[in-house]
Amino acid sequence: MKELHITDEEKAESKKNRTLAELSVTVWLTPENASFYQKNGFLYVRHQEQDSRAFLCRQFPLEMLWEFISVLDENQQEIGIVRRTDLFAGEQRELLETELKRRYFAPVIEEIIQVKERYGFSYWKVRTAEGTLNFTLHDTFRSIFRAQENRLILSDVDGNRFEIPDVEKLDRKSYKKIELYL
Amino acid sequence: MVKLNSRLWKELQAIDGSLKREDAVVLTYANLDLKEPSKRVKSYVVLMTDVLRVYTDGCLAVEEHVEEIAQLKTVLGVGCVFLSCERKNGEAILLARADNHYQTAIGQAVKRANHYLKFGDCDFSRFSSVGRTCPKCGKAFPRGSHTCPRCVSKKKTLRRLFSLAKGEWKYVAIAAVLFFATTGVSLLNPYINRVLVDDYITNTTANPFLIGFLGVILAMLGTQLLRRGLTVLRGYFLTTSGNRLTVRLRNMVFEKIQQLSIAKISRRTSGELMKRVNSDTSIIKQFLIRQLPNILEQSLLLAAIGLLMLFFDWRLALLILLPTPFVAFAFRVFWRFMNNMFHQRWELNSRSNAILHDIFSGIRVVKSYGMEKREEARFLEMSAKERDAQLRLERFWAFFMPCLQFLMGIGEFVLLYYVGDKMLDGVMTAGEMAQFSSYASMVYAPLHALMSFPRQFMQMMTSVTRVYEIIDETVDVPDKADGIRQEIVGRIDIENVSFGYEDSDEVLRDITLHIEPGEFIGLVGKSGVGKSTLINLIMRMYDVEEGVIRIDGVDIRDIPQETLRARMGVVLQENFLFTGSVWQNLTYAKPDATPEEVIQAAKHAGAHEFIIRLPDGYNTYVGEKGYTLSGGERQRISIARALLHNPKILILDEATASLDTETEKLIQDALQALSAGRTTIAIAHRLSTLRNATRLVVMDKGGIAEIGTHEELMQKQGIYYGLVMAQRDMTKMDA
Repeated sequence: MKELHITDEEKAESKKNRTLAELSVTVWLTPENASFYQKNGFLYVRHQEQDSRAFLCRQFPLEMLWEFISVLDENQQEIGIVRRTDLFAGEQRELLETELKRRYFAPVIEEIIQVKERYGFSYWKVRTAEGTLNFTLHDTFRSIFRAQENRLILSDVDGNRFEIPDVEKLDRKSYKKIELYL
Repeated sequence: MVKLNSRLWKELQAIDGSLKREDAVVLTYANLDLKEPSKRVKSYVVLMTDVLRVYTDGCLAVEEHVEEIAQLKTVLGVGCVFLSCERKNGEAILLARADNHYQTAIGQAVKRANHYLKFGDCDFSRFSSVGRTCPKCGKAFPRGSHTCPRCVSKKKTLRRLFSLAKGEWKYVAIAAVLFFATTGVSLLNPYINRVLVDDYITNTTANPFLIGFLGVILAMLGTQLLRRGLTVLRGYFLTTSGNRLTVRLRNMVFEKIQQLSIAKISRRTSGELMKRVNSDTSIIKQFLIRQLPNILEQSLLLAAIGLLMLFFDWRLALLILLPTPFVAFAFRVFWRFMNNMFHQRWELNSRSNAILHDIFSGIRVVKSYGMEKREEARFLEMSAKERDAQLRLERFWAFFMPCLQFLMGIGEFVLLYYVGDKMLDGVMTAGEMAQFSSYASMVYAPLHALMSFPRQFMQMMTSVTRVYEIIDETVDVPDKADGIRQEIVGRIDIENVSFGYEDSDEVLRDITLHIEPGEFIGLVGKSGVGKSTLINLIMRMYDVEEGVIRIDGVDIRDIPQETLRARMGVVLQENFLFTGSVWQNLTYAKPDATPEEVIQAAKHAGAHEFIIRLPDGYNTYVGEKGYTLSGGERQRISIARALLHNPKILILDEATASLDTETEKLIQDALQALSAGRTTIAIAHRLSTLRNATRLVVMDKGGIAEIGTHEELMQKQGIYYGLVMAQRDMTKMDA
């Protein structure tokens, strides 16, 4: 993913449009000042009478899924922050949450069917809501990340992510298979 | 006709039979739904000569006419990738979405499609079609690797390992003979025991000759000595050949790593590379000179003892071997459990080490925020976890081992009963019993060793695969055999160059720039626009994907890299000094430089003055454990290093960024004097640094936005003007 960090000279450069003081102000996007819509499959935002493509970024993707959502424009500049998606109602909220789910793709593992280790790689066969999936982890210990106490994120060799929302709630057989790596 | 994935094409044909194969240009596949985030659907994106179509879930979802399309683009999500199409009128349309497994394939398709859209031809030969997927099983290779762990053949790997041992056959043969000899000698001892018991201890009727008795004792001593002696000899031959083999393997890996391009090297961390050079090769060595011989000896021993016992009394042999399956089963059952516990303790240990490392490296921060207590608590908590894991392991071990030993001991009880019975009947002598029970106790040691063998074997195979993965890596910036080694004047021509580090990401797009010999070019632009990438391409750290870079009219791919870099001097923002003296660092690229030359270069770079003030002058030891130099001082040493190298092309990548204004001015003047007769390309964010530039090249979004002198660009009031004004504001603000 593109680095969103803004360096000093970038700030300086964009000063022709925005001053430092402007950049330091946090813009909160609310139903009153912003509206979202979809066009050609992309999400757009209308804010201060300006329309722009909207890229949603979770600021705390491992902890808060529906809070603190940065809305960036096409040049990766922040338009504003949505404090909580549920501040928006009905279709607007739906649009935001669908876009987030679409951008952050991590199937939820419901059952671990098989784990095989070979030459430093582990081959997983799991059951998710969409069916059985196979994936490969390299350096298994490092590929399983504890996002919260019991919530695990697995990153496979392709860069795909898989989520186990609560490892303690897995069935006993599945738990036994992943236990070794915890 | 363009080459397409035939399986995909067949699937697409089944959906729309009207598509003509000869009109197809690019075809790719995506597997996620656009509307329902977690739904998987089949999407085919096909670019025909006149139209772009997307079929989703068996239906035509998007149709765009080629003349309306500006380009295709990939947008990265997290764990997924989007494919979009930009119309010439500026509108964007989302075409498809796929999980990351398809990222590379989609990236390559986008490049081909954009080439077609731009040039109208289907000559895709310049795009590397180096598969990122295994041709055998079709799954993606692990990142940074072109070996498929699923399909790698064990036999082939082993054969390659043994082919390394070619020069060592003599030693191996001697070691093998010694194996049989030691095994044979090991089996002698119980026999001598029997003679001792039968002829001299229990035999009260015969008159025991002192000489005979002494002879038996000496024979026991002799076999022991012989066994030890043979083991030492065997160890000598194995260690010698094993070590030679490891050194050979290690050098092969090291040489290969040096040949690889920065692109391939940087895909792996330096820690990982070090691991492959050092610990993987030493795992192989350990296996070859310790574990493998041990296992061979133990299996030989097991087979021999088994046969001997069967030969003496098959019923007794079966009785002794009776608990063996149970022991093996117990080991197997508890193995995974034990393994988990070992792993856990190992992981906890490495985590608490990491915490320690973290705290000590950041001790200044810890102390300045007064966080000692909190860090202490963090470490103690981790230590406690480690202690608990260790305790669990020890407790289990303390319980498990005696149980196992008891189980193994059962055999001896059975033996005692059976043999006692036979002895009472007078069928068996006490000596025979002693011999038998010796053999019985020898059965379990090999069994134990054999049980850990599969794990050791797997570990070794993993290392062998990893090591060969590096050795088999193709050199992606290859030198031509008939490279041109001419002197360089310094003319650089960059023509239609496009480049991206990843297939789905284009950093430079269609760059054309001609640089005359002796010109001073300033590269300007925001960070991330591709300035350093352009410099990397000129230095041929990577090969261009499209277009060509020529130096003095010769394609740089035709110039040997050694020759090319010998004509170039580079000063980077972060400069690395090797462990060694200041002198060694200065003369790195010109080891035969005279002291006069070195001093002159150091003076030009403004380094001489601080060097002579160091306690050991030019002999001062710097580097990791040496004298600590400031960032500016290190910088001046690297500038001197580049000047001493006397290159025709000088590259300064933010070279003066870490210097104070006064020193920068000094160096600026030195550089100006030295850049006469040399082509200089400089990147600088501080625009005042580039006031001597003959031309400024302003880069934006991977392309060249403006070219001209400072005055011309200021008049133009474009991007450069904006940058200068912004910096002026900043300077005012600072003031």
